[in-house]
Amino acid sequence: MYSWHDSAASQGLLSCHECQAVWPQALEHGHCPRCGAPLHLRKPHALARTWAFLLTAALLMLPANLLPIMSIAILGAGEPSTIIGGALELARHGVWGIALIILAASLLIPAGKLVGLIMLLLTVQRGWTTNLRQKMILFRIVHWVGRWSMLDIFVVGILVALVQFGNLAYVTGLSGAIAFAGVVIFTMLAANSFDTRLIWDRHLQETDIDPQH
Amino acid sequence: MIRAELSRKIACPECDLLLDRPVVLRSQTAHCPRCGSRLFNCRHNSVERSLALALAGLILLFPANLFPILSLQILGLHQQQTIFSSAMGLYGDDLGIVALAVLLFAIVVPACKLLLLAYVSAALQFSRPWPALPLAMRYYQHLDEWAMLEVYLIAVLVAIVKLIDIATVHPGVGLYSLAGLILISTLSSTMLDRDLYWHLIDARRGEPQHV
Repeated sequence: MYSWHDSAASQGLLSCHECQAVWPQALEHGHCPRCGAPLHLRKPHALARTWAFLLTAALLMLPANLLPIMSIAILGAGEPSTIIGGALELARHGVWGIALIILAASLLIPAGKLVGLIMLLLTVQRGWTTNLRQKMILFRIVHWVGRWSMLDIFVVGILVALVQFGNLAYVTGLSGAIAFAGVVIFTMLAANSFDTRLIWDRHLQETDIDPQH
Repeated sequence: MIRAELSRKIACPECDLLLDRPVVLRSQTAHCPRCGSRLFNCRHNSVERSLALALAGLILLFPANLFPILSLQILGLHQQQTIFSSAMGLYGDDLGIVALAVLLFAIVVPACKLLLLAYVSAALQFSRPWPALPLAMRYYQHLDEWAMLEVYLIAVLVAIVKLIDIATVHPGVGLYSLAGLILISTLSSTMLDRDLYWHLIDARRGEPQHV
């Protein structure tokens, strides 16, 4: 098993966040001699920043799901629809596959990202030490999947540009789209500000029984 | 420690495990033994292939953005749409910020990524000491996840399904170019050996120095 003493931080070394070069910790707060990026042992203020972005995203989730994101008017008749409303409409027409994709991309993924990142933050802050490898997998999924939530925004953009036939058929984008784009961008920023090394630091320092090095 | 000695070490970017740099053969991937993250992606002829793919992508950018992606027909009336017009449509509905996000994620960022990759790859391939190579490489890495062309493609498919009941939808030249562009840019990301790139960028700047 690897202990805290196998981490670069315990041996007076740090690695550049951008080009991965290894340097002595004396260079911290300076710039990487190889790529010029600012050097930090860990991402600065990782926990505070992640919480801030997450809370912003969580607050925006309410208007994002309650406000309509577009209205589709056909022959003058039509009403504003929310994201969930649009997905249910598709399901009623029997297009289950697409309805599920939209529900997953716009509801499950943002909610899942929120829960996943809060779990990771609490792991660091409460010092939970179980299933660390699984938590790394959780983080990788959260990180990778975030961009797919932009799906709905793009759909609104395409429909707005395409369906402009006056009284016959007309699509308008509505303010829910702003909140929804905000949710996507802020959850992505939250995932980017988190530093997974913090999960390991605390665990390894606590389980370190024999500091012989 | 002197720089040459440090350069034989790597630290896992996700869990900070200090390791001796593993020998990674062609087309192999090294994973961190502690947390399982991917450390290296060794790629055969990474520089040449990335350069070729980036140039191909830059060429495909033009048809993907200039030709209509979808066109719609209702009772003899016609309407066409490009990526740019889908951003402008949102702008017209007072959703300027959303329009800006679409413009950035679907046009500007993918184009910048290809430009930066072509710039760095060409400099390394032809051994040119062009300026700002480390900066270009860093920006490329930052922009990586903000390019969302493949999400846009799925959005086009969703839009087709939504419209198929009320109108006739025709895919345009832009849609096929977009599919090609996504294929090329995905390939260029997988062909890129970031560790090799940083080494080559470093080597272009002369002898290793002592710290």
